[in-house]
Amino acid sequence: MKVIITKGMVFYQGKFQQLGRMVMDKGKILEVTLASAKVKKAKSDPKDKSEANAQVIDADGKYVLPGMIDAHTHLGLEEEGVGWIDADLNESFGLATPHVRAFDAVKMRDRAFKDALAGGITTCMVTPGSANPIGGQTCILKMAGNVVDEAVVKESSGMKFAFGENPKRVYGEQKQFPCTRMGTAAVIRDWLMKAQDYSKKKKSKDFKEREIKLEALLPLLEGKIQARAHAHLADDIITAYRIAQEFNLDLVIDHCTEGHLIAKELGRWKARAVVGPTLSSRCKPELKHKTFDTVRALLDEGCLVAITTDHPVIPIEGLSLCAALCVRNGLDEERAIKTVTEYPAAILGLDKRLGKLEVGYDADVVVWNGHPLDVRSTVDVALIDGKKVL
Amino acid sequence: MSILFDNIRLYTAGAFFPGQKVLVEKGKIAAVGSKVLKTVDVTIDGKGKYLMPALIDAHTHLGLFERGTLTPGSDMAEVFQPITPHLRPLDGIKMRDQALDDARRAGVAVCMVCPGPTNPIAGQCSILKTNGNSADVGLIVEQAGIKVCFGEEPKNTYHKQKKAPSTRMGIAALIRDTLMRAQDYAEQKASKKGIRDRSIQFEALLPMLEGRVPMRANAHRVEDIMTAIRIAEEFKLKLIIEHGTEAHLLAPMLAEKKIPVVLGPALVPHLRFELREKTFESAVLLMNAGVDVALTCDFPGLPIEALRIVAAMAVQFGLDEKRAITAITENPARILGIHARCGQIKKGYDADLALFSGHPLDIRSKLELIVVDGELFQF
Repeated sequence: MKVIITKGMVFYQGKFQQLGRMVMDKGKILEVTLASAKVKKAKSDPKDKSEANAQVIDADGKYVLPGMIDAHTHLGLEEEGVGWIDADLNESFGLATPHVRAFDAVKMRDRAFKDALAGGITTCMVTPGSANPIGGQTCILKMAGNVVDEAVVKESSGMKFAFGENPKRVYGEQKQFPCTRMGTAAVIRDWLMKAQDYSKKKKSKDFKEREIKLEALLPLLEGKIQARAHAHLADDIITAYRIAQEFNLDLVIDHCTEGHLIAKELGRWKARAVVGPTLSSRCKPELKHKTFDTVRALLDEGCLVAITTDHPVIPIEGLSLCAALCVRNGLDEERAIKTVTEYPAAILGLDKRLGKLEVGYDADVVVWNGHPLDVRSTVDVALIDGKKVL
Repeated sequence: MSILFDNIRLYTAGAFFPGQKVLVEKGKIAAVGSKVLKTVDVTIDGKGKYLMPALIDAHTHLGLFERGTLTPGSDMAEVFQPITPHLRPLDGIKMRDQALDDARRAGVAVCMVCPGPTNPIAGQCSILKTNGNSADVGLIVEQAGIKVCFGEEPKNTYHKQKKAPSTRMGIAALIRDTLMRAQDYAEQKASKKGIRDRSIQFEALLPMLEGRVPMRANAHRVEDIMTAIRIAEEFKLKLIIEHGTEAHLLAPMLAEKKIPVVLGPALVPHLRFELREKTFESAVLLMNAGVDVALTCDFPGLPIEALRIVAAMAVQFGLDEKRAITAITENPARILGIHARCGQIKKGYDADLALFSGHPLDIRSKLELIVVDGELFQF
């Protein structure tokens, strides 16, 4: 069934404009017509009754946006309000666990999925935690579906690496290697080197025994999935870049807390960064320089930047609030909205499909009753793949 | 020994028919009908009582957990090593455990026995009759599947020991790791060069990888059931879901994929988080959707005597009597792959019979006698 949204302010081609109508069918956007467009009266086809039966949503006085995207969350891994028995965040007795997949542990009935919709978010990347230098595979999900297999956008989209204090602390407390930043980098290099050699060996005739951890690293080395580096300190970010260059990895920086201190370098590298959770406290030394100005500083230098809640660090519905706080700190509104729509889509490699309201894109659309960066506004309607889910 | 049951109400095709006879010879059912005439060793006058196929429980730990001996008598699970496909129940079953007698007194003639749920790959599943003086005598199928476990139990077990796997991600990864290596082992074994150093763990997994026996996957929650399905499809394994506490939430899909569920134990409190959706309605919801369902007590999850009670409870929650009875006879036989010999009263089938004083789903009815492989136990 077709869905038609009429009127309202639509975020289209990078700014808010008056919407004439937007038509969706079979999960995709079919047509976007602005109110200002001069429409020739098309000869109506008497046989085409599809629009007569369409579901019409009147957005007059409201705001129509692409569903927001959080490119770094732990949604459904640690179900809220349950406790450790349901915590499937970190396989923290394994050190290097490239073969574990967030996809196998996401609980779709975690109430965070409903909270996400209420917050205007329709897609999230879900990643294992940051206890291990190599943490495992990330996945990308939409916020509706009975099981993850229905919600999936990408089953395995990236490989999580963690630098800095977390792996140091987790393994230091277990009185194990690594307990320094040097050790963490060494573990990562060790595995990537093994995987490179494994990849060569695999082409030989004598190859017989597969190894699941190294198998899991092959798509990364082949550039099919991204390297997702958890890094707060400027120095950790640079270490991640050093390793990515050595092994020719497709790198995205997660958190990037001190990114503004090395914005020029990151700009030169056309860095992609998922920044946040900025609305948390500076609870560890590597967060000392946390500021809401990082996003603007990086964007100004030409980086591609998305804002993240790192749910459950900040509850997922706080995403638009985080974007609003960047505006309060000097970022313009248009770019603030792009950091939770277009840019995360591009960072996730989904820029042909998500993050914009354009013809051919997935019909993930949210109607807000007020400006989405005004925290008093609420979500009236959320559509995923053209289906009303809220 | 030959036995003639005379004047009984015989369970056939979903109903009890009076005035019937059943002849048992050499451990098999030799004849069924109203006009069976034969000189026999023992004639039992049924006095109109209810004769049905003896019950089958497709998921138990019978004999592995010895009554009244919490630790020393428990041979349920090797809890310090997460991958143990090479464990065989036969080596741990204590046939003189009271539970075997309890099973016969409950009308149960056949049990699947498997190791406990603590290990991602827990071990072999075997099928036993409840007569016999040693496990070898009672054994009818030794390799009836590999038990693979998801969810809280393995997570709990190894998290406490500060070992992997401590998450659902880790459990899935460890299972995939083992299956992948076993596949490569199988390939090398089949190659010209063959294999010199056998691995007892991979050897134990070969029948499952070859599709001869199923993966019996312990899974309660939707997420864990889905992970089991994903892994089964990746490695082309036959799959049976054990427990299936939330299986009713996936009923149409399980029906479409033809994945059976050994459901239960339902008569327990919602003790753990993964049991929070537990309901007696599961059986009727799954069966209405077309899923093959057997009910289980998961002994010692419930005492084995409770098998009739869980079937009766399913009736209380909407299942019809006929399907409730098939869920403890024919269906478990089919799910265990022994339906050509067990689960029904038919000529040529194993003589596994239970005679009740009244309708077997009326829990006030008493079991008068049980026949297991033609061996008579009267109470």
